[in-house]
Amino acid sequence: MRSEGTFLIRNKLGLHARAATVLAQLAVKFDATITLFQDEKQAAGDSVLALMLLESSQGKEVKVVCEGPDAEPALNSIGELIEQRFHEHE
Amino acid sequence: MKLSSLTSEDCSKAAVLFNSKKRILEFISQLAHEKLPHLTQQEILNALLNREKLGSTGIGRGIAIPHGRMSGAQSPLALILVSETPISFDAIDNRPVDIFVALIVPDGDCQLHLKTLATIADKLNDKEFCKQLRSAKTDHDLYQVIVEHS
Repeated sequence: MRSEGTFLIRNKLGLHARAATVLAQLAVKFDATITLFQDEKQAAGDSVLALMLLESSQGKEVKVVCEGPDAEPALNSIGELIEQRFHEHE
Repeated sequence: MKLSSLTSEDCSKAAVLFNSKKRILEFISQLAHEKLPHLTQQEILNALLNREKLGSTGIGRGIAIPHGRMSGAQSPLALILVSETPISFDAIDNRPVDIFVALIVPDGDCQLHLKTLATIADKLNDKEFCKQLRSAKTDHDLYQVIVEHS
């Protein structure tokens, strides 16, 4: 199974440490290999360090690719998290 | 941006001995206050503790990046500490933490903050760098590892 989607970073702070941590904690819950792509960079979804290296700021688009038995629910959950600004206020 | 440009030898501490999250954060805030005397130790400690309340900065693999955004900080300051024994830090992988890269960053500049985090992440993602940090016996050795890898 493979699912992919592109999402806009909406929160003001972008993919900062806390957002990256929340995303990585979500990513490990799924039986899927999750990779995020932004510009020419890519990062494993379960690595906070790798996610911070993307330097994804507000307004950037990130592509999320999920591969494995849970690919579809993983993509849906991660997409929702990004769309909902990582549960941040702004 | 280079990690060495964010820190200095007096902000590099090897083989520190603390046994709790609170104690090491107190020590970090004391060190940061010495570098940023216009901010009190208590203000810095509060910023670090408030950030930890939102979720641990223990990001896994024995690494934590405690940080505080402070309006009184002019430019990012990094403090690098390695603990003699790992400390329980509520990290995401439940592993205790022995590498601490603490940050005091200016409030408001989101791009600069992301750039600073990426600079730190780039180094900490390098297992050889982490190994050398852990092997450093003195503050001077620790700072040399940082300079050589920057």
